[in-house]
Amino acid sequence: MSNKANLAHKFWPLAAQLLSGTGALALLTLVCFRFHANSTTVALLYLIVIVLVSLKSSLVPSALISIMAYVSLDYFFTEPLFTLGLNQTLDFVAPISYLSTSFVITRLMSRVRRSIEEQKQAEATLREARSELALVTRAMTMGELAASIAHEINQPLTAIVNNGSACLRWLANEPPDVAEAQEAARDIIRDGNRASEIIRRIRALLRKTQTEKAALDINKTIQDVVLLTGNEAAAKGVEIQMKLAADLPPVMGDRVQVQQVILNLVMNGVEATLSVFDRPRQLVISSSQYKSDEVIVAVKDSGVGIDLNQLERIFDAFYTTKPKGLGMGLAISRSILEDHGGLLWATANEGPGTTFQFTLPNYK
Amino acid sequence: MGMSEPTAIVFVIDDDESVRKSLASLIRSARLRVETFASAQQFLTTPRTNVPSCLVLDVRMPGLSGLELQKRLAEINIDIPIVFITAHGDVPTSVRAMKAGAVEFLTKPFRDEDLLDAIQQAIARDRVARLQEAQTIDLRTRYESLTAREREVMELVVSGLLNKQIAKKLGTSEVTIKVHRAQVMKKMRADSLAALVRMSEKLGIAHPREL
Repeated sequence: MSNKANLAHKFWPLAAQLLSGTGALALLTLVCFRFHANSTTVALLYLIVIVLVSLKSSLVPSALISIMAYVSLDYFFTEPLFTLGLNQTLDFVAPISYLSTSFVITRLMSRVRRSIEEQKQAEATLREARSELALVTRAMTMGELAASIAHEINQPLTAIVNNGSACLRWLANEPPDVAEAQEAARDIIRDGNRASEIIRRIRALLRKTQTEKAALDINKTIQDVVLLTGNEAAAKGVEIQMKLAADLPPVMGDRVQVQQVILNLVMNGVEATLSVFDRPRQLVISSSQYKSDEVIVAVKDSGVGIDLNQLERIFDAFYTTKPKGLGMGLAISRSILEDHGGLLWATANEGPGTTFQFTLPNYK
Repeated sequence: MGMSEPTAIVFVIDDDESVRKSLASLIRSARLRVETFASAQQFLTTPRTNVPSCLVLDVRMPGLSGLELQKRLAEINIDIPIVFITAHGDVPTSVRAMKAGAVEFLTKPFRDEDLLDAIQQAIARDRVARLQEAQTIDLRTRYESLTAREREVMELVVSGLLNKQIAKKLGTSEVTIKVHRAQVMKKMRADSLAALVRMSEKLGIAHPREL
């Protein structure tokens, strides 16, 4: 903002305050003069106007109103009438009390306003920090969960592989030991069931995780994620564009979980464009109405694209096309959306890249 | 494996019951004896048969971990070859284990041949170590059967002195030295001077002197 614009920005509210204060003062003067109010009454009524103006305004208009009030008090209401001059005690006391009132009140108000502003700022920062924290925590839990699942399932799998080898060896030995081979085979079945039981327990656990579904502004949620990832994407030379439809109805969703899904899609999209050098690295996130009771969000990248025969498999747990991926992101994202009564799918673009789209039902 | 050699034992330590049992079956199917333990502590407190053996040891266990057990065994001078198995083969851990003398570091699940090969290698290593240790003990017993004078003569013989020189040095006749020398060769069961020198090297008493 230029200096000039800044001044204009400040000037008009001040002028308006001055004008309304003057108006109130003039009206009061007219009424009091008409009804022959005594000077003490008028002085106190003026004081009320000054207090009110001071509460709303800053020092300059408030001081100007104080001076006007004093002049009009001296001119219209204190003897000798229609002259200005310091003749009575009131002529001394009035300007001092008016000016000091306006000074003290405007000072106090500006301090109050500043502290309210600071508090608002602090609340906004806190809100932002909280939502970032929620994302980080969720991402970490996902990583830990994946590591724990990997370990829990790897144990019975190791036992199955060992027992399989042992079973073959028992049978290949001379003479074959059928009893030992049978025992190993029984253990294979037992351990297979154990692995499956672990998966069942994890599924139940994921289902039990508390979600807080409420009315959610999907555009705001997208903007939050872009705010968080925009810098990192820009640092990697990826431009994120938003094409958000105005006036979308709120959707029904858990803010953190939906954020997590969008974050996942955005990070995937950014990563997909990293090996692109011959065209702009772009990510377009759009939102729009879908059917009558759903909102659709599309994350379209200009990246390397995904083979048609891989497009469905990418949603399988532990399936990954990334060298360091866990293969959990899209699987979890899809289960989150299905839990919300929405859908997540991927399509190959007409041009290069892939588009991930998801739907969420409107809030009812 | 020769028939005369005592049957080796493989000690398996893994806190997971399924894995432990499957390892036992696999190792038995290769005609090896196996004993299983659910924890490192249990292994440490169980008396062991004194036969060639090796450890198949899980890295990550509650209580004493595999790596800690390896360290503990080294501290109490128990030299038993270790084959590590782990669910997640991180490089730093495997490097640490191998540097501390592990035979092999396998990531679960592994191929049966890989495990059994590692076990055979570990047992072979233990056999050699046991043989060497037995030989050293035997040698020390023989050396301890020598008289003080015979030890003196042995030391001078392996340092390359002639009988005449030894006799002069000890202030006695060459004939006496010859008798002592024959006694030393007999008690130490050495059939040549070269064999006696090797023995004294093993015993750590040979300091060939410049003449």
